[in-house]
Amino acid sequence: MPTERELAISPIVQESVQHNTRVISNIRSLTASLFGVASGILGLESYAGFAFYLLGTFFVSVLIWAFLAKGKQGEYFQGPLSELWAGDVLGGGMSFVLTWTLFYGLVRA
Amino acid sequence: MPSYLSRPLTVLGLLFLSHACYSAYEHSTLLTPSPQSSTIASTSTSSPPTASLPLDISLETIISVIMICVGLVVGAEELKPIMWRVWAGKVERESGGGGPFQGLEDRLGFVDIRAKRKEFADWVRDQDNDKK
Repeated sequence: MPTERELAISPIVQESVQHNTRVISNIRSLTASLFGVASGILGLESYAGFAFYLLGTFFVSVLIWAFLAKGKQGEYFQGPLSELWAGDVLGGGMSFVLTWTLFYGLVRA
Repeated sequence: MPSYLSRPLTVLGLLFLSHACYSAYEHSTLLTPSPQSSTIASTSTSSPPTASLPLDISLETIISVIMICVGLVVGAEELKPIMWRVWAGKVERESGGGGPFQGLEDRLGFVDIRAKRKEFADWVRDQDNDKK
């Protein structure tokens, strides 16, 4: 986190911060359920499924970094590590497990 | 990648994903023993057949997921710069002279009096031409 002095020299636009966080969490929640569908179809179980989710999340982070942030993550996020690369991963994990179990049960009834 | 590609890419990916899902479902129903063949199945294998997915269905699933991910990310709203100076400069450039410091620019001391005078003279001349 930046110190108070740094904030006084280069102020932060709160509105943009909120907007960026909302964009990230939108993408995360959509893709989390998508990965759930995929791992349900693939029939992954236990650790393999969670590994698939983490891998997919990392892939989406790279996509965001390349397409949305255009490689300049410091310009769009205060803490790129926690907001871009790890933002909403746990919250998305819930919807991942939900769709994972649903589609696993649907396909292998 | 241009953003108009995002919608078709996402829709195509969803199509592929639903197709893969249905294929996987069909594949699993093929593998479960039907009532007629239950005796054969029970004699040949004691455990229920583990449904290992064919390679093409797995590939279709993974490729469609990648397509949807790319489509979603490309079609998402653009991020806004969080630094005040970067953001303010962007707003000013895009709105053509607006922006958060417009109030300072509009003070009396900054009025370009020659440009205003010329504007007024042009206006008067136009009025005269209209009358003639």
